[in-house]
Amino acid sequence: MSRSPEPEVTIGFYTVDQSEFTGWTGGLLVLSASGRPLEFQCTLPVRPSRAHEILYGPTLRDYLIGDAIGALLVKRCRNLPSLLCCNQPEALQLESYCDSPVALVSEAAEKDEGPITDEMMPGYEWCELAGSTLRVAIERVDSVREIVTRLPNLPDLLEPFDRIREAINEAQKQIARVRAA
Amino acid sequence: MNHDLTVDIDPSMSLCGDSLVPRDSVPIVISEIELRSIPIKLQAIEVKAIGYQFPRSGGGIRIFRGGAGEDAVKPYSQPEALKPFDADAARQAATKARERIRNGKLTRIKPPADVVKLEDRLFYLLQPPLELLVGSEQLQFPFEPFPYQLDGIAFLFPRYAAVLADEMGLGKTMQAISTIRLLLCSGEVRNVLLICPKPLVSNWLREFSVWAPEIPVAAIEGNSPTRQWQWTSPDIAVKIANYELLMRDRDSVLDADQHFDLVVLDEAQRIKNQKNATSLIVREISRTRSWALTGTPVENSPDDLVGIFEFLSPGYLKTDMPLASIAKATRDHMLRRTKDMVMNDMPPKLYRDADLDLTPEQRATYEKAESEGVVQLENLDEQLTIHHVFELVLRLKQICNFDPASGSSAKLERLVADMEEVAASGHKAIVFSQWVNSIDQMRPSLERFGPLEYHGRVPHKQRDGILQQFKQDPTKHLILMSYGAGSVGLNLQFCRYVFLFDRWWNPAIEDQAINRAHRIGVAGSVTVTRMLMANTIEQRIAAVLNQKREMFDELFSDSASPRSVGMSREEIFGLFDIRSPKGRVAG
Repeated sequence: MSRSPEPEVTIGFYTVDQSEFTGWTGGLLVLSASGRPLEFQCTLPVRPSRAHEILYGPTLRDYLIGDAIGALLVKRCRNLPSLLCCNQPEALQLESYCDSPVALVSEAAEKDEGPITDEMMPGYEWCELAGSTLRVAIERVDSVREIVTRLPNLPDLLEPFDRIREAINEAQKQIARVRAA
Repeated sequence: MNHDLTVDIDPSMSLCGDSLVPRDSVPIVISEIELRSIPIKLQAIEVKAIGYQFPRSGGGIRIFRGGAGEDAVKPYSQPEALKPFDADAARQAATKARERIRNGKLTRIKPPADVVKLEDRLFYLLQPPLELLVGSEQLQFPFEPFPYQLDGIAFLFPRYAAVLADEMGLGKTMQAISTIRLLLCSGEVRNVLLICPKPLVSNWLREFSVWAPEIPVAAIEGNSPTRQWQWTSPDIAVKIANYELLMRDRDSVLDADQHFDLVVLDEAQRIKNQKNATSLIVREISRTRSWALTGTPVENSPDDLVGIFEFLSPGYLKTDMPLASIAKATRDHMLRRTKDMVMNDMPPKLYRDADLDLTPEQRATYEKAESEGVVQLENLDEQLTIHHVFELVLRLKQICNFDPASGSSAKLERLVADMEEVAASGHKAIVFSQWVNSIDQMRPSLERFGPLEYHGRVPHKQRDGILQQFKQDPTKHLILMSYGAGSVGLNLQFCRYVFLFDRWWNPAIEDQAINRAHRIGVAGSVTVTRMLMANTIEQRIAAVLNQKREMFDELFSDSASPRSVGMSREEIFGLFDIRSPKGRVAG
């Protein structure tokens, strides 16, 4: 018996790279269910002024990752993913800018944040995908679990963040070459 | 005694009680604090973005079996090529892939230097690492590829002009097939033409069935109408043609409506001569991508490489370019690895130079032939050409194999003695000779080892059967091969011994011959016995071969100061200690 066609499931990965020299650069990669790239959006490096640093204080990181950079990339994205994964807790805020559920990949976040525990994330449930733990807002967890069942081929949720960083590096090298010319 | 103290007080100069009480008020005016504001206007943080959408794997062959719609399209009309989707199997395969990438290095497809547009560069950079694809449910492989083979696939995938020049036996065929498979699956190419020497067509078909069983592939063969249909059939994703066929089917392959997304030349050294008919035809084939596969990109001089690049990218290399410039220009287009570089755990190749003395009969014949030959050469004086010298060389080499009058042969005596040991230990050997006549002469003495023959006089249709028999029949310990027929494309890694009964002019051809046995899958060390007659032309040729080997190493190293290469006319004439009448040999 043939399977009835199902709508295509895609998965997005979002991260922001911070460098003392270049600033904050965000990247959003949308992959097919088999892990192939469908779309890539990235920002040019963002450099907050001293005034921003003073006045935003400790909320600057939240603002850049969860609002300024993330919101723009989501807005520009033509192939909004069925599920958006991030490796920075601040990015969970993006759920207010898009219809897709946003999930924190615990193992990817733990590199910078240390162990992610239930106590640290009230209001979030967890589910598993490709050997990783996803932290998802309670009200979205059912829909994420349904999406997860349709991504059996996806082998890994950590590696795509490396792809984004490689792509950001390449874009920055290209910009530097253009400017030098 | 009493003294009175009398003090006069000046009231105007003194404070008294009344003075402390102010008689009237003194107002102090305090001005109001003036409030001023300095506005700090915090501008919004400006964020600019760039973005690209990439083509979905749209029209190519679909071998991915994911549940998503993208991967559910079936390719062509080969339902048997697709297994029913099995989510559990997919999860298991994904788990294996995850373990692989978390435990080892990742092989990423890197954009070539000549891909300039950021969008194109990102397209390659953002592809999944090969470790995620290989062996997963998406892309089944019969064996786990070696890491260097994944590097080879990552090299070929993004390139429109590429030479895969790995040493024989490292799996160029597998790397090419796997990359073609990936390109077909991703929709990057749809129509591939692979051109190889005729004896290797069946080998390619076999390898496709192993490494890419779902890809529709066919050899262009049969009568003219059949071939005409095959050339134009859109159902054959990969067409395999042999070089000789191109001449006959020139009109079909060069038809104005015929275009290939990728043309692959196997044993691409066949087109090193830019002017031969084959080179001219392959250069005219309408195509988007061009790859060359060869274990010997340079057989005689760097000009060989120029010929190959005329197919890949016409005009990119020039014949008069310095060696260092050629090496630099080709670096991004060519990938060459040797077994020493990548196969640390491969059994060694043990060379044994058998320096033998001619039998008395051979010595007498040899010395007479050489002295008379040299006299003849000298008598030719200004008429002397290099062909005269070659004729003498060949005659002397044949005497080194067998005395023409008596049939006496020191090499054969040694070969028979060695084969006793090889056969007794249950092993198998390959014997290479330049001449089929020499093979005929050695066969009677080798009968007890069950010799098989594989050379130009053996019909093509029988050759596969002979190889199968050699592999499977335990009484067949020996196969006698000519360099021409047996040096390329054959997998004989079950042989542990190789005998070079005579030496070829070109070390690359010798390497190809040896690597029939010393290749991936070899069970143990391979012993290579190079027969060499002492104090003869063979010893002098061996010295020249060593020089050529040095030139080859130089071209494929990063050496900045190449030495002079090529064989001068003086060196060739010097084999007989006679003077060249015309100076240096061109090229």
